[in-house]
Amino acid sequence: MKKKYLSLTTKKWFQILFWAVIVIAAWEIGATVVAMTKRTPENILPHLYQVLAAAISTKAVSGGMTATQVVFTSASATLLRALGGFAIGASLGFLLALLMKLSGVVEKLIFPYLMLIQLIPVLGLAPIILAITGDINRSRLVIAAILSFYPVAANTLAGFKSVAKEKYDLMYTYAAKKRQLYTKVLIPSAVPYLFTGLKIAAPMAITASILVDTLQGDGGLGCMLSQSLKHAMNIYVFWLIVFFSAFIGIFSTQLISLIEILVSPQKRSASWIGRIAGKEKIYGRDAEKNRTQKEPGAETL
Amino acid sequence: MNASAEVRNNVPDEIVIRDLGVTFQDNKGNDVQAITGVNLNIKKGEFVSLLGPSGCGKTTLLRCVADLQEPTDGDIHIEGMTPKEVRLQHKFGFVFQAPVLFDWRTVKKNVELPLEMMYQTKQQRSERADEMLEMVGLTNFANHYPNQLSGGMQQRVNIARALGIQPDILLMDEPFSALDEFTKEKLHEDLLQIWRKTNKTILFVTHNIQEAVFLSDRVCVLSPHPGRLSAIVDKDLPRPRTLEMKETPEFSQLVLKVRNSFEGGSFS
Repeated sequence: MKKKYLSLTTKKWFQILFWAVIVIAAWEIGATVVAMTKRTPENILPHLYQVLAAAISTKAVSGGMTATQVVFTSASATLLRALGGFAIGASLGFLLALLMKLSGVVEKLIFPYLMLIQLIPVLGLAPIILAITGDINRSRLVIAAILSFYPVAANTLAGFKSVAKEKYDLMYTYAAKKRQLYTKVLIPSAVPYLFTGLKIAAPMAITASILVDTLQGDGGLGCMLSQSLKHAMNIYVFWLIVFFSAFIGIFSTQLISLIEILVSPQKRSASWIGRIAGKEKIYGRDAEKNRTQKEPGAETL
Repeated sequence: MNASAEVRNNVPDEIVIRDLGVTFQDNKGNDVQAITGVNLNIKKGEFVSLLGPSGCGKTTLLRCVADLQEPTDGDIHIEGMTPKEVRLQHKFGFVFQAPVLFDWRTVKKNVELPLEMMYQTKQQRSERADEMLEMVGLTNFANHYPNQLSGGMQQRVNIARALGIQPDILLMDEPFSALDEFTKEKLHEDLLQIWRKTNKTILFVTHNIQEAVFLSDRVCVLSPHPGRLSAIVDKDLPRPRTLEMKETPEFSQLVLKVRNSFEGGSFS
């Protein structure tokens, strides 16, 4: 009987349920306390059912739109730019990593100073970018690109460097051309590292775009967030955006994990989604092995 | 002079190593002699072991033959060519200690990799890979990924890949040293069978005396500080060899003979 409960704790669905229950319970206890002691409890910690009610309410809160409509309209403005910036930043990051691998000079000259960009707080960088580009949409794009760039470049470079000396030796004995070394060994080896970088970069790009929104008053999640917080709009819009952003942040990372499984044949066979996509046979021992397989180390600041 | 040695005398030399020396510089800038004054002729189709403790330069010697290491003295000729020419013509296969497989390629695609470098067609590659996997007994695992295989199976793929380019020479750098005893013995038998079937020249680096005695025609004993060839033990164990042979007094005598030929104290 005891054993049965123990094995339950290793199940993923159980772990998720476990944490969901704890978070919801803590939230509700907090909300109850806040409701008893504060004058405007909804500004500090509303009950979850109040947030839910606001989400499904048909009452217009701004310009004839309901709270949910406000969230989705502003989300599209913010997230499309975040996605665009993420794509540009990630591509440039990958290309630079490749360039740094190809040339030691480029690496020594650029890499240590690239980190400096990451050290400038976005809060300080954003107004400057806005002043230069003169357009909030372009600023979102640029900021998202800047923030996505570094984790992707650093992780991909780490991936290139992770290739063991024996693999170079092996390719050398095959008289492989440099191009073959890159396309057949180095780039495929760096793919798991690239995805680690993308998983770090995606929520950062989203957060940055939301932050840029707050600089100007023409829409976007961040803009609505601050307006709602300043009581220019229903406070529940604020809470809905908080929940929505958290969801999107987590979702973006999960989505990238999913894409990684779909493009990595060796991971496909170990995952249920891959088994559906690839129709590959699953063997007990490889599922076991893949679970314990080490994720490449995340290269962040 | 035994029968097999007499037969070998009529066979031309495949690898000729003359006065070979390799000198490294350590991080203090001092010259360190990895190997010095190595002379060795290897016949076509011969199975030769390079045996010695770590630091004796046996791997360095093998890497020189594979053109992975530039000798500082002397030279190597393989079928009258330099190691570099031989490498560019894909005439040797190299089997590393680690399997060095590529995670994202299936077992079969791993075996096909060197053939891609030789610009073979898809069909040629596929046929060759199937043939090689059958030889090492992994036909049923062709579409598996390396992380689904045991260490012994991974090393079989490594060997299949090296044989796939149809090299004249197989260079093996302690290929079985990371495997457990049971797997190792099975692979010894399999390697001898493959050798008999394909008639390759094999240069096999090991630090295991029994392994060297069991597998090879000749054991080249290397001693360290500086790395040098200190003895060549010719053997007359009959072929084909079986695992039972390891229990015979002849086998034990050969092991003892090899062990006694180390210079500078006991082999530990």
